[in-house]
Amino acid sequence: MSETGRSSRRGSWLLVLVAWTLVGIPLAWGVYRTLQTAVKLFR
Amino acid sequence: MPGLLSKERIIAPPRFNRWLVPPAALAIHLSIGMAYGLSVFWLPLSHAIGITTAAPADWKVSTLGWTFSLGIVFLGLSAAVFGRWVERAGPRTAGVVAACCWGGGFLVAAAGVHLHNIWLLYLGLGIIGGCGLGLGYISPVSTLIKWFPDRRGMATGMAIMGFGGGAMIGSPLANLLMNHFRTATSVGVQETFVTLGLIYFVAMLAGAFAYRLPPPGWQPAGWTPSQAGTMITARQVHVGQAWRTPQFWLLWTVLCMNVSAGIGVINMASPMLQEVFGGRLIGAAGALKDLTGPQKTEVATIGAGFAALLSLFNIGGRFCWATLSDYLGRQRTYFLFFALGTVLYALAPHAGRLGSVPLFVGIFCVILTMYGGGFATIPAYLADMFGTQHVGAIHGRLLTAWSTAGVLGPVLVNYIREYEIGRGVPAAGAYNTTMYILAGLLVIGFVANALVRPVSERVFMTDAQLAEERRLAHESGSRT
Repeated sequence: MSETGRSSRRGSWLLVLVAWTLVGIPLAWGVYRTLQTAVKLFR
Repeated sequence: MPGLLSKERIIAPPRFNRWLVPPAALAIHLSIGMAYGLSVFWLPLSHAIGITTAAPADWKVSTLGWTFSLGIVFLGLSAAVFGRWVERAGPRTAGVVAACCWGGGFLVAAAGVHLHNIWLLYLGLGIIGGCGLGLGYISPVSTLIKWFPDRRGMATGMAIMGFGGGAMIGSPLANLLMNHFRTATSVGVQETFVTLGLIYFVAMLAGAFAYRLPPPGWQPAGWTPSQAGTMITARQVHVGQAWRTPQFWLLWTVLCMNVSAGIGVINMASPMLQEVFGGRLIGAAGALKDLTGPQKTEVATIGAGFAALLSLFNIGGRFCWATLSDYLGRQRTYFLFFALGTVLYALAPHAGRLGSVPLFVGIFCVILTMYGGGFATIPAYLADMFGTQHVGAIHGRLLTAWSTAGVLGPVLVNYIREYEIGRGVPAAGAYNTTMYILAGLLVIGFVANALVRPVSERVFMTDAQLAEERRLAHESGSRT
């Protein structure tokens, strides 16, 4: 694979990481808040 | 030159990474998933005029609750009516319209709160917002299936997981915003509606503009379709033909039974745990009605924890079961849902009688994974049976099963419980008959699933019909 091809491939995975982070952060926050409520069941 | 929203404009360039499409779908589904969290507004809105206590002119919680019911009905209706348009116009156009409806619906609802007009609230979040829910829900389905022909279940499972998780983000965010905007003269809902409407509009627009369609004939590298000995077709059924087949109505029954059973439990999870176990939840003796005020509060907190735990299993099941269906096959996955579900529903009353909270909680956690899994696996089942050309539109029509289940499930659970209490059954045992009836619904689903066979050869589109459909859908070249 050429240098340009490799760099384009790296760039696309970086973009994937950014996109998943953007949706993952609010989702993780929501899961954390829900877990905080859920643990009351086990106290 | 193709317009900004057109399908031609969003054909992916070479080397496009298909893993960019699921986050786009998630951005939309996480936003519209707030539909499940709307109840967070009902209590503050029930004293919007009286502020600290309900004034005579204030809305009742039961009146406000109709907003959610309307939203779910319009979700099903809009998905069924506009599904074919979504296929032709493309996911970006559908996503933008959904953003306008869902974000705009919050703004109309804010005007309803400002003017204290319940009809504006119904119009905003029920009707306009409901259309946004339907369009947003089906907008990524066929796109994801086309990008992930090798993992259809996993791809749609990721998006539909977002719909289950939307309220997890939206509800605490709404509480934070209402606390921020609350004043001596306002409960803060109006300002929260405006803020959330803008947030969801931007998030959904970002998702819609990130959608890309695979180029004609695209396939994942190294993947070859294999239909031998499976129910996966390589041919295409028109939406107008699909809904006339017995397979469509069998899958409609499969979804309706699975959702009816699960949605009935979701609605009653917290009070059910409290009534079945009463004081045992906090190590005290006696039924729920015999507890003191502080004890009841403590038990209610545990009930809320149970509901939260179920929501986590619901979204986890959406992703895990749908992914597993790629390996097990869709029909076997639903067989598992219905067989295991029937056993678990039938066991639940025994867990209650044994007084085993962990067993009771565990049973319902597994049941909720299968409730979510049923939602997330159905688009891939439809694509296997009817092909991918009209799968979004066919899925849209199938969602009327959800609207039906949204009424059937809660009505069954609530009315049977009231009937049992009315004939003198203690509150702790009032859910037993309901559980057996819900198990019966799953038996019906099992039979419907068993009757599903590959569709008849005569319902597939001819090459000429398919070419015409692809022309209407602005697709050139051939695609499976």
